[in-house]
Amino acid sequence: MKKLYFILALSLSCFMISPSANAQTTDKTAVVKVTGEVANPLSITEADLQQYKQTIVIRKDRDGKDHTYSGVILSDILTKAGATMGNDLKGENLTKYLLVEASDGYQVVFALPELDKAYTDRAIILADTIDGKPLAPADGPFRVIVQDEKRPARCIKQVTTLKIVFAK
Amino acid sequence: MKYPHKKQSNYSKRSLRVISGIFALLFAIVALAFTNHKDSIPTGDYQFTYPANFGNRINIPADNPTTQQGVYLGRLLFYETRLSANNKLSCGSCHQQAKAFTDGLALSKGVDDSLSTRNSMSLANLLWARKFFWDGRATSLENQATFPLTNPHEMGQTIQASVNKLSQSNMYPGLFKVVYGDSSITGLRIVKAIAQFERTLISANSRYDQYLKNSYTPTPDELKGMELFNRGPDPEKNIRGANCAHCHGGPKTYMELFHNNGLDSLPADQGIAAITGLAGDKGRFKVPTLRNIALTAPYMHDGRFKTLDEVIDHYSEHIKQSASLSSFLQHESNEPGGTSLKLLPKEKKQLLAFLNMLTDSAFINNPRFSDPKLVSSLHQNKTPTQ
Ligand code: HEC
Ligand code: HEC
Repeated sequence: MKKLYFILALSLSCFMISPSANAQTTDKTAVVKVTGEVANPLSITEADLQQYKQTIVIRKDRDGKDHTYSGVILSDILTKAGATMGNDLKGENLTKYLLVEASDGYQVVFALPELDKAYTDRAIILADTIDGKPLAPADGPFRVIVQDEKRPARCIKQVTTLKIVFAK
Repeated sequence: MKYPHKKQSNYSKRSLRVISGIFALLFAIVALAFTNHKDSIPTGDYQFTYPANFGNRINIPADNPTTQQGVYLGRLLFYETRLSANNKLSCGSCHQQAKAFTDGLALSKGVDDSLSTRNSMSLANLLWARKFFWDGRATSLENQATFPLTNPHEMGQTIQASVNKLSQSNMYPGLFKVVYGDSSITGLRIVKAIAQFERTLISANSRYDQYLKNSYTPTPDELKGMELFNRGPDPEKNIRGANCAHCHGGPKTYMELFHNNGLDSLPADQGIAAITGLAGDKGRFKVPTLRNIALTAPYMHDGRFKTLDEVIDHYSEHIKQSASLSSFLQHESNEPGGTSLKLLPKEKKQLLAFLNMLTDSAFINNPRFSDPKLVSSLHQNKTPTQ
């Protein structure tokens, strides 16, 4: 009981001392923004993601073990946003790339043909579950999972933005 | 003129004459210095020099190209106390060159004598940075500079008041003309010049840089420390590591990441969560540069650790678990099932030896980064021209 009071007092004092903390902190839901060279910029919540066709990818993580991830093929999301995928992925559009950014500032790049079914069968998904459960907070709620890629470095965690960019 | 008015009768006529003579002389010297100033201002594009392994992903806004004259002006403004409400503080007060542009305090004192909410940050290799402050809330150096200028707890002066003070000075209108083509002084022009100067603060000559250029042979401890710094622990395979490079790695020892490094389970300062409102961002802060880290104590966003030994002890023994703890610090341990690194005393010493390799004495002694008024400050404070 004493401990509880202590924690209560502590968290209360946190609100009072902290310069920037306020009640609105930490009750928003995470989204993935789709921006850049797209016709219809999107802002996707976890609920929105369920509206798309779901795909499963099994791959190893840093722990060296196979895990089952489920989510949505990236090109489906990009097509919905009006990016130049499919028949439009030719000519100068082949100089475009997808820049994925995470909430910790980490960034990785995919060339658009790496994501397009007309070019490859390899599945690259925006996953929201691992082994049937939501991703751990430090990994999710959204993580890109790249099928078969040897290193997991492009399996970028805590994705916040998908941006289509022209190479200059 | 702002010195206390003493009754004239306190002085004999003779000493009055001597004093005014001295003043006239000082005036002449300073006036001369200023005209020389203008004549000797270097002009033209500013050429950045840095090692190739720093990469060219630099950040210069298209509307503020770096020029030698801009950097010249920016340096003066960086050290200009008239940009503060009490004419006592400049950027250089909280960002001192000898301390790699920090101030040695846990929290800094502003013009109103109140303390800043966070620890002053080292200014080095900002040319490559894209987000500024502990929470990354500023997206350019130009934008960043307006915060300390106007924050009532820092320099505490409106941009308009700064513009007025500089416009009334002898020196600045002419300098602004050299830099911007006309002598009008605006807030935007002030922050642009300061940002240009800050971009030139490049630190690239530590023993670590020299090692990467093959011009320095590390001691055995430094080498071991470097190995630990760059490698993740894997107790099952008997690999010892400290995994620092995952967040602090690369030739710049800066990667522009934002993480919760396990300082608190219930952070008093929410970090970027105060901006995003996301639970996962609680206690998340900029991963600061480790360049010159031996010079920038105390450490962390609130200056809680006084020494690097305390910092290393934190990572080795005291990582606090929470939902937003970085995944790079979860289950990273040299002991099977451990929650902190659990380094040996010898390894801590080696890691420290490596961190000391990051000190760049050429950077903190570079005369181009120092306070340009320092030599003539005696005259400056006493002359009627000011
Ligand atoms: C009263 C002390 C104080 C003064 C004066 C001051 N700063 Fe700072 N500076 C700080 C503190 C404290 C922080 C960190 C604040 C935060 O993150 O909220 C900081 C952060 C910065 C950063 C961010 C660095 C990074 O890596 O993100 C820059 C750049 C900077 N200051 C430049 C300036 C400039 C330019 C001026 C003058 C216009 C100035 N500062 C004046 C205390 C000061
Ligand atoms: C998960 C990413 C991460 C890892 C791994 C990491 N750090 Fe940090 N480090 C940070 C963050 C974030 C901060 C700033 C935290 C704060 O102030 O709230 C920091 C701060 C520091 C500081 C203080 C810097 C300053 O200017 O105050 C030092 C020194 C430091 N780390 C050294 C290390 C060492 C040594 C290791 C390896 C044992 C290490 N770090 C591993 C993220 C990390």
